[in-house]
Amino acid sequence: MTPRERIKNVINFKKPDMLPWIESFYDETLMKWAKEGFPIDEVILIEWEVSRSGTLLVNWPTVKGFDPYSYFGCQSFFGCMVPVDIGPIPRFKLRILKENEKYIEILTETGAIAKRFKKAEYTWYSMPMFIDFPVKDRKSWEEYKKRLNPKDPRRYPKDWEKDTYIEIFERYQNGCTLLRITGFYGFGAELMGIPTFNVMFYKDPEFMHDMIEYWEYFTIETIRDAVETLKDRIDMVYWWEDLAEKHGPCISPKIYKEFFLPHYKKVTDFLRKNKIDKIMMDSDGNINPLLDLINEAGINGLWPLEVNSNMDAITIKKKYGNKFFLIGNLDKRELAKGGDAMKKEIDSKVPILKELGGYIPSVDHLVHVEFSFQKFKEYAEYLKKHLIY
Amino acid sequence: MGTKHELLNKIVITISNLENSGKIKNLIKEALSQKIPIIEIIEEGLRKGLDSVGKKYENNEYFLSELLYAATLMNDALEILEPLLKTEKIKSKGAIVLGTVKGDIHDIGKNIFKMYAQVSGFEVYDLGVDVDPEKFIEKIKETKAQILGLSALLTTTILEMKTVIEKLKKEGIRDKVKVLLGGNAVTKEFAKEIGADAAALNAIEGIEICKKWVEEK
Repeated sequence: MTPRERIKNVINFKKPDMLPWIESFYDETLMKWAKEGFPIDEVILIEWEVSRSGTLLVNWPTVKGFDPYSYFGCQSFFGCMVPVDIGPIPRFKLRILKENEKYIEILTETGAIAKRFKKAEYTWYSMPMFIDFPVKDRKSWEEYKKRLNPKDPRRYPKDWEKDTYIEIFERYQNGCTLLRITGFYGFGAELMGIPTFNVMFYKDPEFMHDMIEYWEYFTIETIRDAVETLKDRIDMVYWWEDLAEKHGPCISPKIYKEFFLPHYKKVTDFLRKNKIDKIMMDSDGNINPLLDLINEAGINGLWPLEVNSNMDAITIKKKYGNKFFLIGNLDKRELAKGGDAMKKEIDSKVPILKELGGYIPSVDHLVHVEFSFQKFKEYAEYLKKHLIY
Repeated sequence: MGTKHELLNKIVITISNLENSGKIKNLIKEALSQKIPIIEIIEEGLRKGLDSVGKKYENNEYFLSELLYAATLMNDALEILEPLLKTEKIKSKGAIVLGTVKGDIHDIGKNIFKMYAQVSGFEVYDLGVDVDPEKFIEKIKETKAQILGLSALLTTTILEMKTVIEKLKKEGIRDKVKVLLGGNAVTKEFAKEIGADAAALNAIEGIEICKKWVEEK
């Protein structure tokens, strides 16, 4: 079987010839590993393309990123993605607003103002501190909406030629084909900041209904062409949400039911009408109190299932069976320790989940900088033995 | 118009049930017109309401949205009451020096804790984010705060918490303050390991720990 066939089998609750294995890496982790012996020359991806400025008609080798996945023998979530732009168009112009010896304040492309360390070793991994957000009230939302026009032709690539893309999606076998979208909580928190967005459900519920309804319309209309073109050549929808913290969801089941559920259903119904029925939510934190509603919304896959937030794949599998396929749940803290701690984490979960079915092993978040290259290699070698039936 | 007890109870319920800001403001005005002492409105009405919200959060009945909204209701009420506090003085539960450790600029969790600590009656000296260990020491000496709250989100920065504790020892003031850790990367085991007094896994737990500490004194 190809990696894609393996993933498709697992998420359809069928037994593959061996388990697939999915990971995602922070770029900073790879940069750190480069100093620890990771052969960067073996994983660097260079492609010839027309010179970036477009003023020279010449192909030029350009660094497109890294492929650590083939090196370790795992698959990336983001191998073949539907090229739809769901961000604000036009983008805010990324620029420095303020800087001193220690910090830098920038206007991000989504319109937020972020402060970060100027010279910290892992500036982006450590995430900036957001000090302002573009949407504060109804007026600023109306203004922002102008950048969220689903009919803007710039949302699709210049070379969006349907047959070509159908062929690309048919042919891809290195992992799953993916449509990545942003969820109703994720988009609101990103535009308003977590505290303001969360409080607004009580302060101005009508405003929240309006925002979320618009996001449903915008999402469906933006992806419509791609979804109706590619249909089930898209193996999985990856719905980014991040709607929970360690203690529990940021929003209560009551709010989820009233504000989110009907809109999730509209999107998942639209996807299913187009034969796309593997819909996975990406949310950190403890989502246990929302699982029934998440499933009712039409979502049937979960990642990363963070262990430090009390998420347990075996418990979910036993309770929900094939209502969810699961990815992740290998405790990043235990794996990064290596040795017996790493082995115990794998031994206690992977064989059981492999038998229960519908499970793909993965670290319970992106692979972080505290993971040394040697320890990750050790983890990779040990896990691979468990992938075989 | 009801009895004093009924009115204070209505305030508790209004906060606990997360009703709108207008309703709480009206109840506060009614309590003032009945000449209920401001301290009593705060202690027997608002704070009891907030305690009830905290309990609901711990029981998974309320979540972050509800916690944040309850704090805004509380602030709306205090905005009316605080300017009227001329002769009456709210007795502080205690002082907390608070900050995100050096190398870390995350503040959402810290700010939620701060908001709840303030409305629960603590004086909070918030030093902000990326705070040098020396700044914590200076502020503790200056304010004689009984509690030091250290926050860190990242596993790369939590070790700074240990540096602060070492510094407290070096300055001979470790036994004068209780050290409370908070933040995504923090665990109870880690707190024990580095010699902190406790770790809170969320803001409400943090406040309960602080209340217990000041009651013990």
